[in-house]
Formats: sequence, C-alpha cells, structure tokens
Amino acid sequence: MKNMNIKFIKVLILFIVFCVIGISGFLFREHRTFKEPVVVSEHITTVKKLSDYSDVVKGTVNDCNVYIFDSGVEGGTMLMFGGAHPEEPATNLSAQVFTENLNVTQGKIIVINRINISASTNTRMGEAYPRFFHVDTPWGVKTWRYGDRAANPLDSWPDPEVYIHYPSGQNLAYVDIRNINRNWPGKADGLLTERTAYAVMRLIEAEGVDMTLDYHEAELEYPVENTIVTHEKGNEVAAMTSMLLTSQVFDVPIGMEFSPKALHGLSHREIGDYSDAASYLVEVAEPMLDRIRGITDEELLMSGKDRFVMKAGEHGLLYAPIDENGWPINQRVARHVETAKTIMQVNNMVRPEQTILFDGIPSYHEILENGIGAYYNDPSMANPNYVYYD
Amino acid sequence: MTMLQHSLLVLVSIAVVFAIAKKQKLSTEISMLIATIAAILVHVILPQGEDPRSQLPFLEIIRHLAEGTVTYFDVCLVFLTATFFMTLYKESGGVAYIVRQIVKTFFRRRIICLLLLTFVMLVPGAITGSGATTVLTVGGLVGAVLTAMGITEDRRVALIFILAAMSAACPPINLWAMMAAAGANMPFVGFTIPLAFLSITGALFATFYLAGRGESVNLEETLSNLPKVSEGWSGVRVVLPFIVLIGLVMAGRIWPANFPVVGLPLIFMISAGSVLLVSPKRINVFNVAITTVTNLKGLVGIMIVVGILNQIMTLTGARGLISLAVVTLPIGVLFGTLWLILPVAEGVLQYAVAPLFGVPLIMLFNMLGYDPVIALSTWAVMLPVGDCLPPTAVVGRAAVMELDYKGNYYRGFVKTALVPMFFILALCTITMIFCNEFSAIIGG
Repeated sequence: MKNMNIKFIKVLILFIVFCVIGISGFLFREHRTFKEPVVVSEHITTVKKLSDYSDVVKGTVNDCNVYIFDSGVEGGTMLMFGGAHPEEPATNLSAQVFTENLNVTQGKIIVINRINISASTNTRMGEAYPRFFHVDTPWGVKTWRYGDRAANPLDSWPDPEVYIHYPSGQNLAYVDIRNINRNWPGKADGLLTERTAYAVMRLIEAEGVDMTLDYHEAELEYPVENTIVTHEKGNEVAAMTSMLLTSQVFDVPIGMEFSPKALHGLSHREIGDYSDAASYLVEVAEPMLDRIRGITDEELLMSGKDRFVMKAGEHGLLYAPIDENGWPINQRVARHVETAKTIMQVNNMVRPEQTILFDGIPSYHEILENGIGAYYNDPSMANPNYVYYD
Repeated sequence: MTMLQHSLLVLVSIAVVFAIAKKQKLSTEISMLIATIAAILVHVILPQGEDPRSQLPFLEIIRHLAEGTVTYFDVCLVFLTATFFMTLYKESGGVAYIVRQIVKTFFRRRIICLLLLTFVMLVPGAITGSGATTVLTVGGLVGAVLTAMGITEDRRVALIFILAAMSAACPPINLWAMMAAAGANMPFVGFTIPLAFLSITGALFATFYLAGRGESVNLEETLSNLPKVSEGWSGVRVVLPFIVLIGLVMAGRIWPANFPVVGLPLIFMISAGSVLLVSPKRINVFNVAITTVTNLKGLVGIMIVVGILNQIMTLTGARGLISLAVVTLPIGVLFGTLWLILPVAEGVLQYAVAPLFGVPLIMLFNMLGYDPVIALSTWAVMLPVGDCLPPTAVVGRAAVMELDYKGNYYRGFVKTALVPMFFILALCTITMIFCNEFSAIIGG
C-alpha cells in the first residue's frame, strides 16, 4: 500500500513537471518568436539588413534591420541604435520614434531599433522580469519584447570561464561576452555579439558615419546616470548639449562625462577609437534596474515608481532624484529623443560640414503631453510596404 | 498595505514554511521549494494596498518557477562534468598512483608537502573561479595525501573546504568580484594583489593550523594502507589528463583571439576522454556516469531550488527588501556585520549575492570615499567562506561527499573549520576598514 502511494506521488510529480515544462516552454517560445512591427516613416530611403555590410551576421538572429533616411543632400551622417541592453526599454522605443516619424532634409540618419536582437528574446534569469511590455496608443495597445542585458544563451553558448576582450586583452566577467556594450569594436570570427559589433563597425565605415549614439538606461544606484558619455571627439558637442538641455528643457539635469580610456569594449570608447565617428552614449534613470527595487513587474518598468528605491534615495544612496512620480517611460523616452535631436543640432553648429536637418520628431514637451504611444503607427492600417519586423 | 509590509510578509512566510517543512523532516531542497511556493501564494493573495502593481497570471507564475530552475544551469553542468572526470580518474587508479608518489617523495618533508598541496588546491579554483570544481577535481586526491600524513577526518574535510573556498577567491578568476565589478561598470583591474594577498594568506593559515601538526608518517605502513595501483601506470600517463585539462583552459587564456570558446563542461568531458585513453584498465563508463549523477543529486537539486527561490524573492520584492536593509545600515554597523552577512547570504544565494549586495555596496563605499577595488576584494574573499553554510552549502557538501566524510557536518567539520574561517573574515574586515591605507601601500 505504501509502495503504491509512493509510486502514485512519483507519477503525480512527473506529471506536474511535464505540465510546467510544457507551459513554460510554450511561453518561452512565444517570447522568442514574437515579432515587433515597425511602421517606417514614409520618408524612409531604404531598409537594409546588417549582413549587407558584413556576412559575419548573415543567417543569425542578430541580422537586424538598418533603417536609412538619406536626404540626398550633402551633409553629416548619424547612426543611432537602441536595444543594446533590451532590459532598458526606453532605448529601442526612442530609436523607434525616429524610425516611424523621421524626415531628413539634409544629410543622413541611420537607425537600428534593436542592435542585439538575441538579447531581447529571453529575460534575465533570476531577475523575474516580465516577458513583454505594452504602450497605449490612439489605435490600441502596442507590445514589445522585454529582454536581458546579454544575448540569449540559445544563440551564444557556452561562455568562456573569463571573457578576454578583443583586441585590448582586458579581463571581464564571462557573461559579458554576450553583452554587446562590452564587445566593441567586435571580432569577425568571434561569438555572436562580437560579430554583431564587428558588422556595425563595417556599417559605420561603409556609410561614412560621422557620429554614433548608443541609447541606454541605468539604475539610480549607478554613478553614470542621466548623462552623455562621450569620446574625446565629441567633447564640445556633448558639453554644449548638456548645458542647453539642462538650462532650457529638462527638469532633472543631464550631465556630460568623458569616456574612460581604461574601460574597454564600450561603444563610447571603441567606436571613437576604431572609426572616424564621434561616439556618444546617453543614460537615463530606470528604477527597474536597481537591485534594491521592490516588486518586479511591468508596472514598475513603465511607471518607474518604487518605494524601496525612494527609501534608498532618502539615505543618500542614489545618483538621480526620485519621488512618488517615479521615472515614467514617457519621460525617459522624451529625454533620449530630445538629447539625440540636440546633439545633431549642436553638431551642425560645431561642424557645419556635417550638417543634418530633419523634421517630424516630437519635442520633449510634446512627448510628455501626448505620451509616446502617439508616435507609433498602426501596422494593421499601414501600407504593408512600410511595415517591417524587428 | 505598503510594499515594505508586503515584502516583509513574503519573507516571513518563506521562513515560517521552511521551518515547518524541516520540522516535518523533509529534505532541505523540498522544504525550500515548498517555502518558495508559499511565498508566491502569499504574494498573489495579499491585497494590492497603496502601491499599484501588475496582474500576475497563473501561467506567468509557472514561467517564473521554470525560469528559476535554470539560473545556475551552467554551474550544475560544471559540477556534473568535473565530477565525472575525477570519478573516471579515480576508477582508473590514477589518484592512487599520485598519492603513493607524493607520500613516497615527501614523507620526511612535511612543510614542503603542505605547501605543494596548498598550491595544488588553489590552482583549479583560481583558474575556474569555482570552489566546488576544486573539490571535485583535486579534493579527493589531496584528502588522500592528508590521510596518509595522519590528519584527522574532521581536519581533513575542514582544510579541503577552506582551501577550495580560497581557491575560488584567488585571482585571476574571482567570479564574485567580476560579477559585482561588471554590475557596477568597473574594469576588472587592480584586483590581483588584494585578492591574492587575502586568499593566499587565508589558505596558508588554514593549512598550517589544521595540518601543521600530525603523526610522523610510517612509510611502509602508510603505503600498505593505500589502495593498490593497477599495472601500467607511469608518471607521464598519470599527468596526461591534467595536461589536457590545464592545456585547454590555458589555451583560451593565452590565445583568446584564436582559440575557440570550449566552455568548462566540454573541457572536462574531453579530459575525461583522455582518462579513458591513458587508463591501463577498462572502466565501465556508464556506471561511472550513474555514480556521478547519483552523488551530485543533492548538490544539483539545491542549486535548482535556490534559483527558483531567488527568482520568486525578486518577483515579490523580498530580495530588494534584504538588499535595501543591508545598504541602509550605518557604515560602522556594516563594518561590524558584513563578515557575518556576506557568508550567510552566500549560503542562501550563491553567486547571485555578488550583484545583489556587491553592486549597491560598491556604490555606497565609492560614495563614502572608500577604495572600491580593495573593499570589493575583501567581500569577494569573505563570500566563499559561506559555501559551507545552509541551505546550499555547495562546497561544504562537495567536500563531505568527495572525502566520504562520516562525521557530523556541523559539530565535526564546520566546528573544526571555524578558527581559519574567523581568521579569514577578520583579515578581510580589517583590510576593508583600512582599504584606503592598504590601497596606498600596494600603489592602487
């Protein structure tokens, strides 16, 4: 009788385990295969794949769309990319505001919404992230994948015991071999993210890019916060951008920092060192990334409100202010979009030969007033020729 | 209800349910799993209160539980493959051969022998960053030599554990420091000297405290008590599997741009293949594989459950509450309690403790003007000391298993290890308090 009971319990446990595997497997697959529609601006020139610039990413999940807006009028060229760390949603949302609304009248702007797609196909293990996040738009709710900081192990595995950055030889944590912002300037025969960075460097060369902008978000405990980190080539532009935005636009100041020369693999250091482009990286506060955060869910991700983070602020442990209003996604995207616009406008003054003129992009205050949802188009109503998937 | 009260109730539910389950004589793994499920139930049942939060559909709860199980997937694979390699080596008679050679060569020179054993123990963990790997690869071998040197069972296991913990802390690879530094965007530069000073000092103290004295070795008697060696072993044959192992690890370091990323699990499996090639006797590989999995069931089980617990604690805010409680302590209290908090947290969360406590502490110390590199080094040496503490006790359990320890885990092994553990924690605490002065001395 006792043996029967134990057998029954074992069979029951096995059944439950299979159910858990089946259900979670379905959910993981749904996340991994979800396609994000992008309704490109009618002023788009062409949409290429990253593999058009280098074969090393051909056939991989990271062969991302490259959205090119070329005015045909001589001027400068800007490359902006989001999604380096897909756990920072304001980055791809900001890039996509440009992709869906941009009209360039002088020079060229190239946008990549998700530079490390693989990292957006799973969430970070142990961090209890939601799989998706949603934005209300005038035509309904729009959905995006929420992701990890590093590429999906299903696409890049195993990791080495220690990641030795190429070409500097600097030792980094093993997981950073899947973190694209530790992989610049990339390696043609490396692992997936190294190859992705390599291919983007070839894009920068081929398109004659003058400046790059890498969107990020950071925990409030992190000192590099609400700031522009710049390579030496961009010092003037970053300093003036910071002053203009702080004095005239933003409630919370945006700083400016020099790219450290001893910290390798980051876009603001290596793109500047290994190409002709001036490289910028912008950060905005995202309480969801703080280790001291409370309940982890989409509400926190989108509202940026968290009592535990506020408590840490009361103890003087944060590098960015936070109150009961939090850091809502509208504000985070609005800051990024306005910063990108201002960098290009200031660059026009500092380097007139690199002038880029454009319109169609909402201002900081317009985004705060209308919400970011107002700037994404309905794919079901759009001309199918203008709908792409990231 | 505030979020603080909510997360506190979740934490209390974990503690209470775990205690009740243990009282019912359930295993640690099952007790922790039940406590985790209780935590998620409490989280769902508790009313929303003042702070808005998203709906948590039932299927998403399932997904969180499943996701937690694979948090330490890579670590478990390393445990399994490293143990498979060493079990094959042991079965082939390689361990017995090496132990006999060491005893024959060094039976009159105890100090040199101990220094050699300390070195042998430090190398695997220093290269891989894993104390369990040290125990599973060379722990059994060194334990056998210690037996031959007349070291008691309690002291043997205690020493193997401490040396394994210090090997994981030893540079060049200290995973806690690397993960915390990565989380804080600090380059992993300047850690070698402080980590080497703290871990090697700790290892040497433990070695001579626990094994410095012992009965003088009666060579004939000792050799007669050691297992017989199969015919056909030679010095070259016996080191070949280790040359393959170290060669594959080092090749990735020496030629990182040209050597493919193999990964530790495959490196151990290739090394296991080399054991089969050099072994003078036939080994039943299938039986060895079954023995390996059977022996590691508990260890792998606990890692899986800890992954689930960590995921659910993060989901419910309980992890954030603990982290917040630690970083908001006054600095004097932190100096006085980190030696206790860090090893205990390591016992619960394993490597996850590095980003959880390491990153906020780096920010805090940096803000207060303390040298973050030295401070992080001290924490990264204190943390592995907790690897013999419940509920995971990963390295402690591996040491007990590898040395076939029959004594009482706490009153025997852990109690014996307490003095060297306290020495290491005290050394790290003093270095942490005077981290700026220490940094000035080493030119940091």
